[in-house]
Order: sequence, then structure tokens, then C-alpha cells
Amino acid sequence: MSAPAVSSLSCPQCGAAITLRTLDQAQSVVCSSCGSILDARDPNLHVLQAFEAKQKFTPQIPLGTRGALKGEKWEVVGYQVRRITIDGTSYYWEEYLLFNPYKGFRYLTQYDGHWNDVQIVKAAPAESINGRQPFVTLYGETFKHFQTATAYTEFVLGEFPWQVRVGDHAVVRDFVAPPRMLSEESTPDETTWSLGTYTPAAQIWKAFSLPGKPLRPRGVYANQPDEYRPVAGSMAKRYLLFAAIIVGLGVLRFVTAARETVFATDSSFFRPGAPADSLAFVTPTFTVKGRTTDLEVTTEAQVDNGWAYFDYALVNEQTGTTYEFGREVSYYYGRDSDGAWSEGSRRDRALLPSVPAGQYFLRVLPEAQVPTDFLEYRIVVRRDVPIVTPYLVCLALLAIPPIFWALRAWGMESARWKESDYAPDDDDDDE
Amino acid sequence: MKHPIYTTFAALLVIMLVAAEARGWTPMRPTEVKNIPRSIRDNPGAYRPHYRSFFGTGRYLRGK
Amino acid sequence: MTARTAACPNCGATIEFRWSGAVQSICPYCKAVLVRRDVDLEKVGTVSDLPPTSSPIQLGTEGRWKNDPFTVVGRIVYAYDRGGWNEWYLRTASGASAWLSDAQGDLAVSTPANDAGPLPAPGELAVGQSYAIDGILFHVASLTRARYAGVEGELPFESWDRHEALFADLDTEGKGAELRFATIDYSDLPPAVYVGTYVELDDLAPRNLRRFEGW
Repeated sequence: MSAPAVSSLSCPQCGAAITLRTLDQAQSVVCSSCGSILDARDPNLHVLQAFEAKQKFTPQIPLGTRGALKGEKWEVVGYQVRRITIDGTSYYWEEYLLFNPYKGFRYLTQYDGHWNDVQIVKAAPAESINGRQPFVTLYGETFKHFQTATAYTEFVLGEFPWQVRVGDHAVVRDFVAPPRMLSEESTPDETTWSLGTYTPAAQIWKAFSLPGKPLRPRGVYANQPDEYRPVAGSMAKRYLLFAAIIVGLGVLRFVTAARETVFATDSSFFRPGAPADSLAFVTPTFTVKGRTTDLEVTTEAQVDNGWAYFDYALVNEQTGTTYEFGREVSYYYGRDSDGAWSEGSRRDRALLPSVPAGQYFLRVLPEAQVPTDFLEYRIVVRRDVPIVTPYLVCLALLAIPPIFWALRAWGMESARWKESDYAPDDDDDDE
Repeated sequence: MKHPIYTTFAALLVIMLVAAEARGWTPMRPTEVKNIPRSIRDNPGAYRPHYRSFFGTGRYLRGK
Repeated sequence: MTARTAACPNCGATIEFRWSGAVQSICPYCKAVLVRRDVDLEKVGTVSDLPPTSSPIQLGTEGRWKNDPFTVVGRIVYAYDRGGWNEWYLRTASGASAWLSDAQGDLAVSTPANDAGPLPAPGELAVGQSYAIDGILFHVASLTRARYAGVEGELPFESWDRHEALFADLDTEGKGAELRFATIDYSDLPPAVYVGTYVELDDLAPRNLRRFEGW
């Protein structure tokens, strides 16, 4: 067994014991008592920076906690709080440095309840610009630029494999391909790329056996996985399948409908001024054959700036069952300052549902208000006439769930990009 | 199967559509009356319709 | 690998050699630096204890590199202004050798370049220059002046009087499954050129790693 995992020294500022968990890999270590940042490579631990943070923060995962991530054991050895300031508002997030002597270092970041599992990548991705939004590709995946900002180190605890100081800053560029995010950190001396994978807080809590429940995440994070878009997509495909079926059925119906005329009056007329009872009449009996289907009654009357009303009773001679309905035609026209206008129609179509075969006649009582003494009209009765309405209704109803999910997906994407440099409300790069 | 509820809903809708079309469903709801008197043939004018909207329009010329 | 034993001229302890070709060896008991002069070992100095390390690799770690089994026989610890790293000296079963550099858990294996061409003098080096090594074009990425901070085990050269070394790190634009880099080591003249590949610890199928309490 090698030397113990930690080696003990004393803080030159306050004398408190300093433990190094990463041994020869630590370059700076923070005294947990006085907050001074010490040079971990120096056997005397000389002070790199006295405590300068403006406020203290408490890590959600205490230093020294060990947990299992992806089947590997990791220990929290360092903690940083960093800040970016956009349009006068400061945003703080946490970074936890994890260590495993056989695996090296790893990071966990946390912002507003959103956690990311981050690893340094040695390969620099290839960069391009598409319109006004740059993107980078790595291992075949394309990451879109999300935000560029300067990140400042606000508070540190524990130890780090580089020399850390409060006030350190780096230009950070984030590129996202949910659930992953590639971040570039640049200082004048070097550029480092890291790859983060969005991790649900519950997984972190379980990995490190933390008590209680994690903070509920607020909003949508840059690389938070898209929950709704895949659902919206597959539901849209399912809709298209059924829409095709419905349209197919519609075409079939329209092509096979008989549209058979079972009765028609010749050109007839009546005098609108005559007493009502004398205008009522009964048509000869006509036969409706075949299966129970709809019956179309078309009324056409040559109204000119007037209306005509036809009160119908369709009587089944054998059963005595009667369908009563009234139909109106009206047509008005004229000229005014905008030109010619017209309103209404001289023709009306009534569709009676599910009329069984049988012998029928129509009792008609016409009524009209027209400038002329008499009115010409025509009545045509047809069976098995197709209508578009039920198909349109079905297409519309079926569209509701996919539209709902599409809106949710759009809403999530909107919320995500609202936090980026590309928020639609803004003209420039700040939010 | 993905989206079981939606697919079931869609399938039911299609079945209802086919059933409606097979029976000649239309949006119209004419008033159906059974066993009207035989006298309608002889005296069509005397027959008064049963649907309410007829009276609502006020256009019915009050004859006899 | 044939092991040989000899007596340490300083403390008399029996030292076992992992590699018969070692030029320099450190006695693990008294920390004397022993240099092989023909058949005898001569003590040329003493090294101080190395600080505890968190590197998983130790002397005697075994593994495979490109299907060639190897044993870690020696180590040089370098320190520079930003930190330090280990260079582990590997000897393979087929008699070849390689260096395993180990910095903050980042590992890379490098072997001497076959064909380096003319190299500039240390004073002429600058970041951005390009050189062809083993048929690949490399660009100087950084220059590091490092100090010898310690040695351990067996090494193929005498390092006792070395205090400082200049390293040039070169990278290449080529994209491939492996990231390649090159190093020019100016500890000696002529400078030594190495070509290397980044690896993960698991890629080496390691055995006999350092065990840490609690891990």
C-alpha cells in the first residue's frame, strides 16, 4: 500500500491543518479556516492570495465526499463559484472538482439547479460559421454557439491542479448540442476545451448519497435535453399516417358516391302574394332505393333582391315518418361607391342524414318577398351525396395533440435560447 | 407502440368516420316526426310543421 | 525480463534490476544514485525522498503498449513554473523502450522518432515553427523550461548532474483516432526527438498500479 491518500501540512497564515487529497497534482490549496490560497507545490505553502472573496458560499456536495459516477469512484476535492455579468445582472454557478487517482480529474457544474458532468477534451474541435451563428464539430456532432462571456472566479475551497485566485477570469464560449455542451475557456496563456453532459440533479444526489432533495431546476438550461421535440416529431408522423388514411377514405367516398337524382321539379313558379295555404303542395311519390344514406335537397329560386322560404316535409309513404325542415334562399345586389356588390345565394343545399330506402313525397309550402309577382324555382332531390365536413373535422381533431406537443417543444426551445446570446428580443450580443 | 392513447383516439375517430359515412351522416338535424296524419296529402296547407325555429322566424304567414 | 541483482555500494542492500541495460539506478533503500561503470556500480550522489504522488503508476507497473508488454523501470520528475509531471521509463518485452509522460492524470506514450531531420539550436526555437518528423508536419506549440525535481529507479542515461532541461512541445493538425504530438528534448546534445500519442490508463491494460488507501 502506498503513502496515505492525504498528506498533512499547516497553513502559514493561521496554523490550521491543511490536507492535500491530490498530493503532487495540487498546485493551489485553500485553507478552510482562514480562506487563504496557498501554493501547494511549496513545502512551506506560501500564500498566493489572502482571502479576497466578497461573499462566502457553501458547497452542496461537501469537500471530501465520495460518490460513484458511471461506475467510477470520485471524490470532491475542490469547489469554485464563478460569475458572469450580463447587462448589469450577475449570474453565479458552482464548479466541483472531482478526483480519482486512477482516472484523473472531472468536474460537476451547477446553475439554477441544472447539473452538468464535465470532462476536459484534448482535441480542439473544428470551428465554422453558419449565417450569424458559429458552430463547432467534434466527433461528428455539431454544437451551436450559445453564449460568449467572461467568467470570474468569485470563491474557492479545496485544492486545484492549477494556480487559482479569486478574480481570475477567462473568456468562456459555450456551444450546445443538447444534452451535451462544448465550452472553450481562454486566457492569454492557454485555451482549454471541455465537454459537459447534462445530468439530472437526482442522479447527482444518488451518486453522492446527499441528504434531502436537490433544488428544483429553474428554466431551461443551455444543454438540457429536449424532452418535447422528439415526442412532437413522432406524434406528427403518427398524425400524417392517420391523415393519409382519412384523406384516402375521403377520396374513396367521393369517387364511389352515387349522387343519384331521385326527384326534380321542372321549372316551376308561384305567386308570392297568394294566400299561404293555397301555395302548399305535395309532390308525386318518388322512390329512394339502395342503402340508407344521405339525401340532398337543393332549392333554387330566382330571387332578385328578395328572399324565398320553403317549408319542407319529406314523408315516407309507408312508415309515415316525416323529416321537417325549412330552407331559405336570398339574394341582394346593387352598386355603391365601391362598385357592384352582392349578398346571399339563389341556391340552397340541405343534406338530410341517414334516410332509409322507401317511397317518399315532399310537402312544400313556399313563401317569398320579392319585387316581382311570381317567382321561378326548382327543387332537386339526390341521394348518396358526399360531403367534406366529417373528414375536415377528423383531420382537425386529430391535429390537436400534435399541435399541442409542437407548441410545448417550441416553448422549451424558446425558453432555452432566451438565455443565450441569440435571444430574439435583443439586437446585440448581450441579453 | 408509441403514443398508445393518441393512436387509439385516432383509430376510434377513423372507425366513427367510416360508420358515419356508411350511414350517410350529415350535420343537419331535421325534425323527425312519426305517424303524421294521412290527410297531409289531401290538405297540404293545413299541415303545420313541428320545428320551433319555424315559429321563431316570424315569417310564417299566419293563414287559417 | 531477466532480473539481475547486485549489492549497493553505499548501504550493501541487495538491489534487483528490472532491466539489464540501465545506465543509472537509484537504490530504493538509501537513495544513492548509482551509475554503472562496466561491471561495477559507483555511487555518484544521493537523491532526496520524492514527495508522495497521486499518480497511479509506480515502478514495477506492467502493461501493454501496441501489443508489446512493458514494465515501468524508472522515473524522472520534472517541475516547471506551472507545476510538474512524471516521465516514466518503460522497457518492453521485445527490448524496445518508451517514455510514458504523466501530467495531472493525462498520459501519453512517446518513442524516439525515426526520422527527424535537422533541428534548430535551443536558442532558435520559437512557437509556431513547423518541422517534419517521421513524415508528419508538426508545429511548435509551447516551450517549457523544466527542472529535474527527482529521479527514481533505472534510467538509460546519467541524470545526476542535470538540473534543467528545455522541452519543445509540438502538435499536429492531422485528425485521426489518436492525437499525436512530438517533443524535442534539449537535455542533451544532440537533442532527442520523440513522437507520442495520448492514451487513457485503461488503454495500457495496466497491472500492479499504485494502491491508495481508501481507493
